[in-house]
Amino acid sequence: MDRLGKFRNRLLILLVGFTGIWHSSFAHHSTAMFDQSKVKEFTGIIKEFQFTNPHSWIQVYNDETGEQVEWSLEWGSPNRLIREGVNPTTFAPGAPVSIRTYPMLDGAPAGLFIGARFEDGRTVGLWDN
Amino acid sequence: MLKAKILLTTFTVLCATSSLCAQPALPDWSGAWQRLGSTAFDPLTVEGQGQSGSPGVRQYPPYNEEWERKYEANLALRDAGTYPDPISICGTPTGFPRILNMPDLYEFALTEHEVWIIQENGPNLMRIYTDGRDHALPEMRWPTYTGDSVGYWEGDTLVFDTLALLSSEDGPTILDRTGAILSDAAHIFTRMRLIETNILEIALTIHDEKALTEPWLVTRQYKRMPEGTRLYDYACAENNRNPVDLNTGRTLTLDADGEILDRDPQ
Repeated sequence: MDRLGKFRNRLLILLVGFTGIWHSSFAHHSTAMFDQSKVKEFTGIIKEFQFTNPHSWIQVYNDETGEQVEWSLEWGSPNRLIREGVNPTTFAPGAPVSIRTYPMLDGAPAGLFIGARFEDGRTVGLWDN
Repeated sequence: MLKAKILLTTFTVLCATSSLCAQPALPDWSGAWQRLGSTAFDPLTVEGQGQSGSPGVRQYPPYNEEWERKYEANLALRDAGTYPDPISICGTPTGFPRILNMPDLYEFALTEHEVWIIQENGPNLMRIYTDGRDHALPEMRWPTYTGDSVGYWEGDTLVFDTLALLSSEDGPTILDRTGAILSDAAHIFTRMRLIETNILEIALTIHDEKALTEPWLVTRQYKRMPEGTRLYDYACAENNRNPVDLNTGRTLTLDADGEILDRDPQ
């Protein structure tokens, strides 16, 4: 690789390091099952927050189809989340919530968690508006 | 006899109260540390966009033809989302040198006789003996995840070398999720030092006569986290809802009751 190529790669590493912080917490396994080109948004009720290793899971009841479906939303490990201000009480069971997620490619009711917005306006994760 | 006792006592007091018998001070690597950069193992040769698991990302280790083909085969599996990451099964260590390439935090425990690299993810631990011993005799060592490491302090630089590493050809250890691997002939020479008060640099010179045409030089940096930063349990098997089939490389997703959510899990 020539010097220009190496310089270009160093710049790229900086960019990747910056933009990849969020999903680099998924060190444990591949994220190939998620469609990261598509953001799904829905409202639901928190069933449970599994603040566990190797990854945390937010279980949410979603009745957008008229039938209650339990969604599994995968997030980071507790050690990384707690350093970002998330703790075991962040998602209280029974709380109404809006969810954004990268859904599974095969349509199963699961996804990679992006962000959430509660009724009082509080947001968690990435939520731009 | 009394004279000898007086001499011994005098010597002990002098040692305790002066620098005559003191060991050289170890550098201050206290606190928690975080790796800088992406999860691709070699920052200098990486190309493509994303992390090591992203399609199209690759590096250019100085592989010989045979091992370049192995790497390309792994890259193809990675692009298809079926490259099996051994640590996804929650049961085996990351191994060395991948232990230096994890996204969670590090601690470095320095003692006069031994250094421990502690990685929060896993958790993983690596021991480096600095008490002057040599490598274990050939008949007393066998390939392991972190191998056999001995070294010494060259001023404030920790210098050590590692051999008796498990080959990653069959999957027990990898360098990153691009599928970069080494053979069981890998012999790695490492230098660790502070290049700034809060930046630690680790420089690796990787020799591998089976896989590489020349030594592979890889440098990684780590930043010291704010004072008081805590490290936590990881306990990978606690609630692993993503079992991986190491034969197909397929990562499954389980629901809260442990049932497979994937619509096409084959």
